[in-house]
Amino acid sequence: MFYLQLALNGFIQGLVIGLGALAITLVFGIARFANAGTGDLLTAGAYGALATHKATGSLVLAGIGGIAVAAVASLLAYILVFKRLMGRSVMALLLASIGVGFAIRAFHGLLYGHSQYVFQIPLSRPYVFFGLRISALDLALMLTTALAVAMLFAILHFTAIGRQMRAVADNRELARVSGITVGRVMTALWLLVGAVSAVAGIILGMKTVVTPEMGWDMLLPLFAAAIFGGIGSPAGAVLAGILLGIAQELSTPFVGFTYKIALAFAVMLFVLLIRPQGLFGTIERVR
Amino acid sequence: MLTRRHVLQSVTAASAIIAAPRILRAQTASTFRIGALNPVTNGSGYGAGMQKMIVAAAQSVNGAGGAAGRQFEVFAEDGQANPQAAVLAAKKLIEINKVQAILGTWASGVSLAVAPLTNDANIFLMSTSGAPALSVPPANAKGLLYRFQGTNDRWGRAYFKAAEKEGFKRPATMALNNAAAISVTEGFRAAWEASGQKVVEKVVYEPNQASYRSELQKILAAKPDVIVMGSYLADLTILLREWYQTGESMRFITPTYAANPELVKALGPELVEGIISVDTVANENSPAFKLFDEVYRKEMGQPGSTNSFAAMTWDMVTVLALAIEAANSVEIPAINSRIREVANPPGQNVYSFAEGKAALKSGKINYDGASSVLDFDERGDVKPDFAIYLFEKGKLNRKYVVGI
Repeated sequence: MFYLQLALNGFIQGLVIGLGALAITLVFGIARFANAGTGDLLTAGAYGALATHKATGSLVLAGIGGIAVAAVASLLAYILVFKRLMGRSVMALLLASIGVGFAIRAFHGLLYGHSQYVFQIPLSRPYVFFGLRISALDLALMLTTALAVAMLFAILHFTAIGRQMRAVADNRELARVSGITVGRVMTALWLLVGAVSAVAGIILGMKTVVTPEMGWDMLLPLFAAAIFGGIGSPAGAVLAGILLGIAQELSTPFVGFTYKIALAFAVMLFVLLIRPQGLFGTIERVR
Repeated sequence: MLTRRHVLQSVTAASAIIAAPRILRAQTASTFRIGALNPVTNGSGYGAGMQKMIVAAAQSVNGAGGAAGRQFEVFAEDGQANPQAAVLAAKKLIEINKVQAILGTWASGVSLAVAPLTNDANIFLMSTSGAPALSVPPANAKGLLYRFQGTNDRWGRAYFKAAEKEGFKRPATMALNNAAAISVTEGFRAAWEASGQKVVEKVVYEPNQASYRSELQKILAAKPDVIVMGSYLADLTILLREWYQTGESMRFITPTYAANPELVKALGPELVEGIISVDTVANENSPAFKLFDEVYRKEMGQPGSTNSFAAMTWDMVTVLALAIEAANSVEIPAINSRIREVANPPGQNVYSFAEGKAALKSGKINYDGASSVLDFDERGDVKPDFAIYLFEKGKLNRKYVVGI
């Protein structure tokens, strides 16, 4: 039961990592570069939700507000920066994305200051299921995440724009000559990336405190999960995030709390040694 | 890693370009150059006030005609409470701005990382950090490091006095994984065990975690009656919220730089009720504090008592200026030999640079600071008194003062 509780604690932490990794892997699969600005899109979502929550007092509206803010920020980053650099080297795009992250962080610092903010949510005692403690907020956050992931996969697999996205991911030139407007696909992609980042950021913000650096600080585990899951694989990213979170918490009785992060990375290293392509990656993609 | 290095290089280059016109100015005018290296971002919100008070104190030195005929020139940088960022900024201050003192490093990790640089350059480092390692070599190998804050060891002993006075029997400790936070709880443990009692459990945790529930689970399993915290505002906020949701009741002893009005704003008065908060006592009844308070209110729009670190940086500039005036030289060894002379007894008590400058004409002085009476021991440490506060209905009420 003790370990189950630890695993549950890790699961919730893993959701944030998994969602963030999902945003990274989507960009990697379709726009083909590592987006280091993802962390700051998380932050944008959290601040957006915070502002909406203050104004309306409704958590649902806060979620929608956060998603809208991050989606707009994400789309702006694409239109103003990434679109102009398309076709340049991966390094140019990566560096540009670090710059985009800086800009978003500095903007938050200017607008909200560097003091912490918290979501004013009434605190409640946890539910106990067969000895497992889980708070109402965590339960709600888990359901929200499940819903968000389900919606994303539905968009990717059951809609025209989703099919086009996957076509662009497979072969951009072929997609273009088949009559797919790459610009439209990209717009949809960046809106989705913003939305997914926002959900991760809002969960993180509700669980912790909102500061301009919160998303940036998460970037390392996010990238780790994206690689672990197999770069470009949405399902892999979510699963890898959750696995990393659970592995971290389950390791604590043996290695203590200060080494749990290192241990999570050791697990990742081990898996990558056996499966260099990650959990769900294919060995070599023809790009 | 390549990417981070790229970024840092371009940032350094950019700062160099921005700083260029000031170097030219600095070379023509004969000024005493000081670096203000404060955690403007990431520092629990104290850094901006600390930096503004360095600038304001330098202005008041300049307004009084400068020290030994030199005007003070301040170069401001953001240390981000992050050793990597702070070392880059310190390198820039030393190599490009040619500062002769770096003032106001806040986090212990930052002070420990910057100390080798200031030692190599033979310039002053004045910190508000608590780590015991800052008192001794290698950090203070050259006697150029001054600490305007109580050592963490003293903080730990202040916690012990509070725990003893409140009658706790089963303390546990939780500390963030850095040199400063751990040395606070270790200072407490040493004092507690010296009194022949046991600490029931201890946990060291990582920053920036989405949840600290597993850490709390371990601590709560030992059934402590009080948890002694080596924490900062952000992690304490998360920890207390999760603790409250567990439904367990116990008390906490925390530093005031973590448990302050910001914490009440975040968590509400009910949750923080009964938390014991420990802080050094600013020298609140001294004229030096009144002067500082007036300037702080003007610059920051808040009372000076909300930022004890800003009182320390105010004192840094004042002590440095008085030592330069007394030495009548800007050579570092000459200044260093005068710092204790102007700050410690014996001598006429003075409370501002202007007052001290005048009094130096007729004999020895003893600067009584805004942050403490500011008497440095042989290791460059001060011995402030500590106040024990209690959160009552969302207000931080001072209960008693202990000397260590």
